[in-house]
Amino acid sequence: MKAFFNLVQAEMIKQYKNYFHNKFIYFSLFLWPILSFVNGYYQFKPFDFSGVSKSISYLNDDTLLSYVLIGYMAMIFFRTLVQSAWHFSFERTAGTLELVYLSPANRVAIVFGNCLSALLGSVWLFVVFLVGIQLTFSNVQIENPVLFIMASILMVIMSVNWGMLLNGLFIFTRDSAFLFTILEEPMEIFSGVKVPVVLMPFWAQAVAAAFPLTYAIKALRMLMFETVSNSEVLRMFGIMLLICITMFLMTLFILRVGEARNRKTGNMALF
Amino acid sequence: MIQLKNVSKIYTTKTGKNPFKRVKSEKLAVDGLNMQVEKGKIVGLLGVNGAGKTTTIKMISTLLEASSGTITIDDKDVIDNRMDIKRNVNMITGGERMIYWRLTGRENLNYFGQLYGLDLNVLKPRIESLVKLVGLEDSIDIPVERYSKGMKQRLQIARGMINDPDYLLLDEPTLGLDAPIAKDIRAYIRKLADEQNKGILLTSHYIPEVEALCDYIYVLHNGKLLYEGTSKMLATQVFDTKKYIFETSELSETKMKAMYAFSDALGASVCITKEEGLHKVNFESGADCHKELMNYIHQNRFLIHNFRVEEADLEASIIELSRRLS
Repeated sequence: MKAFFNLVQAEMIKQYKNYFHNKFIYFSLFLWPILSFVNGYYQFKPFDFSGVSKSISYLNDDTLLSYVLIGYMAMIFFRTLVQSAWHFSFERTAGTLELVYLSPANRVAIVFGNCLSALLGSVWLFVVFLVGIQLTFSNVQIENPVLFIMASILMVIMSVNWGMLLNGLFIFTRDSAFLFTILEEPMEIFSGVKVPVVLMPFWAQAVAAAFPLTYAIKALRMLMFETVSNSEVLRMFGIMLLICITMFLMTLFILRVGEARNRKTGNMALF
Repeated sequence: MIQLKNVSKIYTTKTGKNPFKRVKSEKLAVDGLNMQVEKGKIVGLLGVNGAGKTTTIKMISTLLEASSGTITIDDKDVIDNRMDIKRNVNMITGGERMIYWRLTGRENLNYFGQLYGLDLNVLKPRIESLVKLVGLEDSIDIPVERYSKGMKQRLQIARGMINDPDYLLLDEPTLGLDAPIAKDIRAYIRKLADEQNKGILLTSHYIPEVEALCDYIYVLHNGKLLYEGTSKMLATQVFDTKKYIFETSELSETKMKAMYAFSDALGASVCITKEEGLHKVNFESGADCHKELMNYIHQNRFLIHNFRVEEADLEASIIELSRRLS
């Protein structure tokens, strides 16, 4: 286990030094999500929410800021990991991926380290900003902060598992740009970051169900705006855990099958 | 010892513009290859592009799986003992890829060392000794992007040695390097085999490098083993004649006639030309007739200005082989 975490640490440091080589990166990582968040908030601000309140009782002018904020906070975790997985696929071009696979290093530790590095490097500044906005400008009082924190932790675990799964996919596919395109923007559109999933047509709700981010956002908003029974919380956390386990098992499968396939095809060296 | 027994590799690819009607095609990259690399020896793997050299190296390194045949390293099958083998083998390729340019040399070595699960107590002194060995002491703490090509290649060598492997697979290790740096690297490769008892498999397009370094050579052509042996053996197999060239003071007509008769008797051919008051004798024979020729020269009191035996080198042998196969 010590060797596993040493490797995770080594991977985190390597990725951090490889991608966060310039202080301006922090500036862009901070500025871009803020602009995106502000854009999202002011897109909705002029609208009258009385019609929507029939479907989502808690959504009104007073809660709009927190509503959008939750969506963006969860999204930034997941989106960061889509981008980090895409970045990781560049190691194929650089040839360093072959060296990782030449070594006996634990493959799960490598993708886990890569995800953690991306999260710690990219997300914290934006999260601090959002928490600051929430505490300063929002009137919403969270009924059970402990449960909300637990849901937030589960959301982070989910995002890491999502990142690991994508890392696996992006490593073994030569068409990572295609995967990036179909995962990044649609995730923001369909997961309810801005537009609530319940207001979407049936087909769009079906697409939303495929993104783990949908469940994370739903759980966080429920715990922030609604009074939820214990059984409902348990059911929600259970679903989130089940998604995490499923994603983890899929990651193991993809890493194993992908590597075995590359040993046969020699695709590891192709890009 | 690395041992390949009847190893073949077939790549299957799908071609065709229509994604629903793609045609499968197979390419035999390595065909029934038998070879071995012992510890303390440098073995060369030669062949033109597409001969199957890199595929062979990658199969030994566990990055690729053979379609048939067996590869063992110290009697362990590379498929059944993949993780063990990975600890004991490393690969060094030429060029500037396969290192993290934004990291310093030390950070690179540190990362790659940890991929092999090396404890920091072991890793730190090993990095120090490798850095010294490849002569990067002054630049090990600056980002690799500021390294010259030669420095990057030396870092690659240090990287390949980080797990102290018993076997090193070198794929064009001096590719694109200046002659003095390439010479240093060759000397270092020799040292690894002689002093550290590493078994080294080397591919290179630079034939004099292979000739200078390799104890034994395998030549591949279209995935098949075309030849194995030392470079001298290859030359004698490829070129069936030996040339003796000497310059002597002007020969009389009688002596020239006697020379032609002597060559006929040995089944050799001779060509005598006159250059700047000297006669140049070009004596070519299928058999080794060095002794007979020396005796003849001595008995006939030829005044020799220079004498040399021209033997084909590895480069000439490979060129000749390629010519015959094309």
